[in-house]
Amino acid sequence: MRPDKIMAIASGGGHWIEMRRLLPAFKDLDVFFVSIAPSAALDVPEHRYYAIRDVSRRNSFGFFILILQLIRILLVERPTKVITTGSAPALVALSLAKVLLRAQTMWIDSIANVRVMSSSGRQARRVADVWLTQSPQVATPAGPQHWGSVL
Amino acid sequence: MIFVTIGSMFPFDRLITYMDEWAAANPTVDVRAQIGDGEYEPRHMAFDRKLAQNDFDDVLSRADFIVAHAGMGSVIQAAEFQKPIIILPRLQEWGEHTTNHQVDTANWLRDRPGIKLVETKDALFSTVEDWLVAPEYPDGALSKTAPPEFIDRIRGFLVSKER
Repeated sequence: MRPDKIMAIASGGGHWIEMRRLLPAFKDLDVFFVSIAPSAALDVPEHRYYAIRDVSRRNSFGFFILILQLIRILLVERPTKVITTGSAPALVALSLAKVLLRAQTMWIDSIANVRVMSSSGRQARRVADVWLTQSPQVATPAGPQHWGSVL
Repeated sequence: MIFVTIGSMFPFDRLITYMDEWAAANPTVDVRAQIGDGEYEPRHMAFDRKLAQNDFDDVLSRADFIVAHAGMGSVIQAAEFQKPIIILPRLQEWGEHTTNHQVDTANWLRDRPGIKLVETKDALFSTVEDWLVAPEYPDGALSKTAPPEFIDRIRGFLVSKER
């Protein structure tokens, strides 16, 4: 079995800021990062970094471009594990990684969702091997689980 | 200097308009803003559409306090730099976000030291004026990384051999 390769993906804004706070978890592992802003690469100078398109699900053309970008990244890198702090583009990435590569996946719903799971987070249940909320009040015995938070 | 930021994802012209109005009435105070894709262009405060992360950090570190939407990116970064922050939540019904989760976030954060929730222009202005004299500081700077227990559990998944 080849060694694990990890894809860490987050949308812009708070999603990326939350991912940045998890960087010690990747120490000495084979990991590459995916987000929206080209300048986010400066936060992970030791690693490969890909910028993808920021889209909402209402923008079908942008969504199509995003899928092509993600498929290309997945086929070039072939990650065995995918971890995300959201949001919609990351849900697409998790789904594609599951279908194309049978990757192990972890969804960490953003800490911004303190009362209810995000919409992408609810849908992530079907494609996430580990399905987490950062809010104890959102966790249930049937999932999502609460393992702690970035704060 | 007061740093106004509405994040980088969606416009939030209500907050930018309020703070531009405040800046017009207080021309001796240095106010600068990150306005994203907003339609309204400030006339009384310096602004950028979107700052690169290093420039954002630079402005944040020089600010006396922050005025922001109730986005966790803004809140976390203010805490990492130990900056007081005033938050005005985006409202779904006014098209300011896709859901009302910022109201939940803001209510969850409201009693923490160094964070002040405001919901109206009047409350925003009076808090800005109070904080110009005496800002309410957070207890300490937030560590730049998540708590070690959470990091360890995440790492457990990343290094596990099951697949």
